[in-house]
Amino acid sequence: MADSHSSRLAYGSPSDEVAEDYRKALEDLTMNSRYEISNLTVIAKENTEHALAISEALKNHIKQTSPAKKLPAFYVLDSVVKNVGTPYTLFFGRQLYSTFMEAYALVDNNVRRKMDEMLKTWKEPVPGSIDTRPVFPPEVTRPIENALIKARTSAVQAHQEHLRSQQQLMGRGRPIASPAPYRNTPTPPGALRPQTQVPPGYASGYSQQQFPPPANGQQYSNQMNGHQQYGLPQQPPSQHYSQPSGSASSWQQPQMMGYRAPENSIDTLNSDIANLITASKAEFAQNPWDSSIQTRLKALLDLQTILSSQKLPPDQIALIKDQVAQLSEASQPQPRIQTPPAHPPPPAPVAAAPPPAQQPSLSSILGSGALAALLARQSATPQPTPPAQSVAPVRSPPQTRAQPSYNPLAPPASSSTPVPDPNSLLEKLRAAGMLPAVPAVPAATSTPPLPIGSLVGSVPPGFPPPFINTPPNATRTPLADVPNDVVLKPASLKIPRPHLISNLYERLGSPCTQCGRRFQSDDEGRKKKTAHMDWHFRVHQRMTEAEKRGQHRSWYVDELDWIKSREVEEDQNTSAADIAGGPGAAGSVTANEPKLQYLAVPDDPALANSICPICQEKFEMKWLDDAQEFVWMDARKIGDRIYHASCYAEATKDGGNSQVKRGTPEPILGKRKAEVSGIENRRL
Amino acid sequence: MAQLSGVAIPGLGQAAPTAASSAPAVAASVAVHELQANSEWRFEVAIGRSIEVKVLSGTAELFGTELALNHTYTFRGTKAAIFTWHGCRIEVTGACEEYTAEETPMVLYVNTHFALEKLRDDASKGKGESPRVLVVGPTNAGKTSLVKLLTAYAIRMGRQPMVINTDSREGLLSIPGSLTATPFASIIDVEQGWGSSPTSGPSPVPVKLPLCYYYGLPSPEDNTRLFKPVLTRMALAATSRLSDDQAIKDSGMIIDTPGVVSQGKGGYDLISHIVSEFSVNIILVLGSERLHSDMLRRFSGYRTTTGETITLVKLDKSGGCVDRDDEFMRQTREAAIREYFFGDPKRTLSPHTQQVNFDDATIYKIREANPMLASFLPGGEEDTELELYEKVEPSSMILNCILAVMYAALNDSQETIRDATVMGFVYVAEVDEKKRRMKILAPLNTRITDRPMIWGSWPEATMSLIG
Ligand SMILES: [Zn+2]
Ligand SMILES: [Zn+2]
Repeated sequence: MADSHSSRLAYGSPSDEVAEDYRKALEDLTMNSRYEISNLTVIAKENTEHALAISEALKNHIKQTSPAKKLPAFYVLDSVVKNVGTPYTLFFGRQLYSTFMEAYALVDNNVRRKMDEMLKTWKEPVPGSIDTRPVFPPEVTRPIENALIKARTSAVQAHQEHLRSQQQLMGRGRPIASPAPYRNTPTPPGALRPQTQVPPGYASGYSQQQFPPPANGQQYSNQMNGHQQYGLPQQPPSQHYSQPSGSASSWQQPQMMGYRAPENSIDTLNSDIANLITASKAEFAQNPWDSSIQTRLKALLDLQTILSSQKLPPDQIALIKDQVAQLSEASQPQPRIQTPPAHPPPPAPVAAAPPPAQQPSLSSILGSGALAALLARQSATPQPTPPAQSVAPVRSPPQTRAQPSYNPLAPPASSSTPVPDPNSLLEKLRAAGMLPAVPAVPAATSTPPLPIGSLVGSVPPGFPPPFINTPPNATRTPLADVPNDVVLKPASLKIPRPHLISNLYERLGSPCTQCGRRFQSDDEGRKKKTAHMDWHFRVHQRMTEAEKRGQHRSWYVDELDWIKSREVEEDQNTSAADIAGGPGAAGSVTANEPKLQYLAVPDDPALANSICPICQEKFEMKWLDDAQEFVWMDARKIGDRIYHASCYAEATKDGGNSQVKRGTPEPILGKRKAEVSGIENRRL
Repeated sequence: MAQLSGVAIPGLGQAAPTAASSAPAVAASVAVHELQANSEWRFEVAIGRSIEVKVLSGTAELFGTELALNHTYTFRGTKAAIFTWHGCRIEVTGACEEYTAEETPMVLYVNTHFALEKLRDDASKGKGESPRVLVVGPTNAGKTSLVKLLTAYAIRMGRQPMVINTDSREGLLSIPGSLTATPFASIIDVEQGWGSSPTSGPSPVPVKLPLCYYYGLPSPEDNTRLFKPVLTRMALAATSRLSDDQAIKDSGMIIDTPGVVSQGKGGYDLISHIVSEFSVNIILVLGSERLHSDMLRRFSGYRTTTGETITLVKLDKSGGCVDRDDEFMRQTREAAIREYFFGDPKRTLSPHTQQVNFDDATIYKIREANPMLASFLPGGEEDTELELYEKVEPSSMILNCILAVMYAALNDSQETIRDATVMGFVYVAEVDEKKRRMKILAPLNTRITDRPMIWGSWPEATMSLIG
């Protein structure tokens, strides 16, 4: 059983056993899971007598694990040194240089930036701590810093090489380095950073450490180049999709990689696009206020950029061709009624009133997810800039983001529709399994980078991360939002509806790594997920104890009790925030919650039928997941009899009215703070 | 799709073949399968053997429950299938019979789910009733798998469907012979059939809470005079729960049936009985054209108690359905009984044994209806002279049998005992006719002699559960 290791993290075992368990737990750490990192920190904290063994295990793990798993492991190290401190700082400090630099050489640039930030925090005291000393002493961090500065210099050189060869490859003589077009839009260069490449965040405390977009475009591009390896001479430029390192790669990859479209088909496509651009420009000159032309033009230019800068797999090329063919058709001379707008749109991208809502966004021409996907691929290569001179100042409408992030299936494009259905490419990509159905916040709009917190734990390994963001606030996704025309008739049941499948996957959020249950990525969903992960953790812990103690099948419930019992939703009371903050985190939600008084339902059938002697009523039975048994709520055993705690308190006025309901007896549930949190339930 | 079966606990009793080590042997074969989107990997693991499966990438689901990535699942003694909508790579350790199928009825099934979802949405807005779905079809048509799939999909979308098992051949969260009603609000344990009913300890997958009745015979037609009232009682309880549990009310019910009721006149009467007691408004007919037209004939123009018509639709049977032979079924039943007392590989349970004097035990043996009479009389009007149960004194006949301990009093009438729910099951491990006492295996150590016990012939006597 894969999970059993957690339950073996018992106290007082020999060091090598602890280390072995720790190592196994680390192996399962494939993403920046706040939950897992917290757990590992707690374990480190509770086993300081094995600190040497644990730190060795962690060091070795960082050394040996695949590049994709190195960052989460570093977060563990970071969390341990900050939350536990000595003796771990001592043990990790010894070889921090090699631990850090060896990993740095193997990971991609996004991870490197995380590591840079982490290193920065190591030179400072732990925030909020009374200890004013840095996390690691300067003699530990300085050599690393020096090495990194050297590395950066050589990387910049490599990058310039890369750009030169890139330019030659493209053979267009376009000025490359000018970041002008993006400067012309409200999109800061940093926002171009495709969300794909942003590893999910970690503890909320790290959100302060996120990186401002680099100050100049060149350095930015450099950072986007995932191929550069630290300390190595420059790599040959690569135009291909860079495969994320590590084994937990996406299932998209087999489809995404290794295909080349025949050159000539690309050439045709390129010239088609060029023709379209020319036509659109002409049209644009005639109707400068027609936003749909602007939009189309910008989309075409984007497409041109994408096509010129990377190789797409043939199926995508085919999809784009279809799209272009439709656009060509649509741009055939068509009668256009020209209504001059009352106010011409501002000619320059000054912060203007948002364009009218009906104006399709750039990305909606292609489908926002599709564009994001293309741009994500683009990120593998340095960013060649679109031809600045030809771009009319077009502004991505900011409300792209405010639009529901899921576009319901658009009505099928009928032949009479002059403009092709903007979603069809998107839908085709989805149908082809290239894209899950929920596009993320489009990467190429003026959207600020997602707060890292919203990505916490939401990106499972093996998924294309940006697309599985789900619409916020949808706890139980009402299907009403999705066109669902299925009826229980043979003909209707036979029609495949790929868009509906996402209701069982992406639209439900991201899955729990333990059991696969999905949770929305909104606040509520994250809270639930944390509580849920916490539940897994506690179950694993308690299973060992239960195994020792011996356990048995319970009697089934009686009819009346069963009718009255409820499968409760867990958010009544969660311990989420508690453990989520990890040790040392101050806020405790549960401290403010009244603790509920309850008793295990007696196994003895005679007692099981007892009623409260005071009010003569039966007890309310609930399944208490924490205790893993049926309990009577508000129950208290006095001598041989069981009373409602509230009745008893009322009758005896013992020490204060409502307090009795709150002040529970000693936690039945164990020592961990989070375990005393009251009712959770079976829905976990 | 094939049906899942229970689990053998290695080392307990001679019926379990060689124990499969839970840790993969060093030499265990490891295979990686690439599944294309919309294909299904079907596998059979012999009873007493196990395999480990890990989803390396992509998405995969087993009977509708999504599998976690990079998590090792262990399957023992089962026939099942892993389906993928998006394509996936799975790593399989250990030997099993397996193949990959491209043709599946999954589009039909998932659309059925979404059609039900629509009805649920409508119902929660006050438009119509939530779906109460009956699944009928011949034996081994994949009824239970379909029920499980629809349940799992509903759970994933935040629903809390109530699952009703009317097939006493196999238990659902209980042992064979029982009929159960169970609300499902948490993930189904993919390794363990339907999961587990509550125990005194923690469970790695949330436990489910079945309400359990005892029929004690393999086929509803064996004694309709017993089956029908028990079923009616269960429908009453389920409906009561539904009426004041909004989450379940919105989600509706999914009802599994024994294959035998789909095989002719007597069975059809039982289907009618279930339809009327549970106010079924949707019937899914699996795999049989003839059954479909018979059902159409029977239920066209029919109105439920709430005045709805019945929607009837035929669904294709999955090519993955395999006949499960008698021996496999017998071992599966035995495994279910073991699991009830001893737990599963993830969690060992410790049952208790106690000595019970013959004179202290109140045992009612189910009378099997006279098959001659049954075939002459229409259902429900069998010989009513005879009592349902015969009060018996223990004898060596009862050795290795299962008794159902009922939530009833010793002096209750037979009808009251019949309608009572099951508190738990005990197993007769030894009978000493000379000393007039027997050794009873019970899940926990409480007195059982103050309640009446029912002795049925199903599940059949099992070889010694304890050595
Ligand atoms: Zn989970
Ligand atoms: Zn009271």
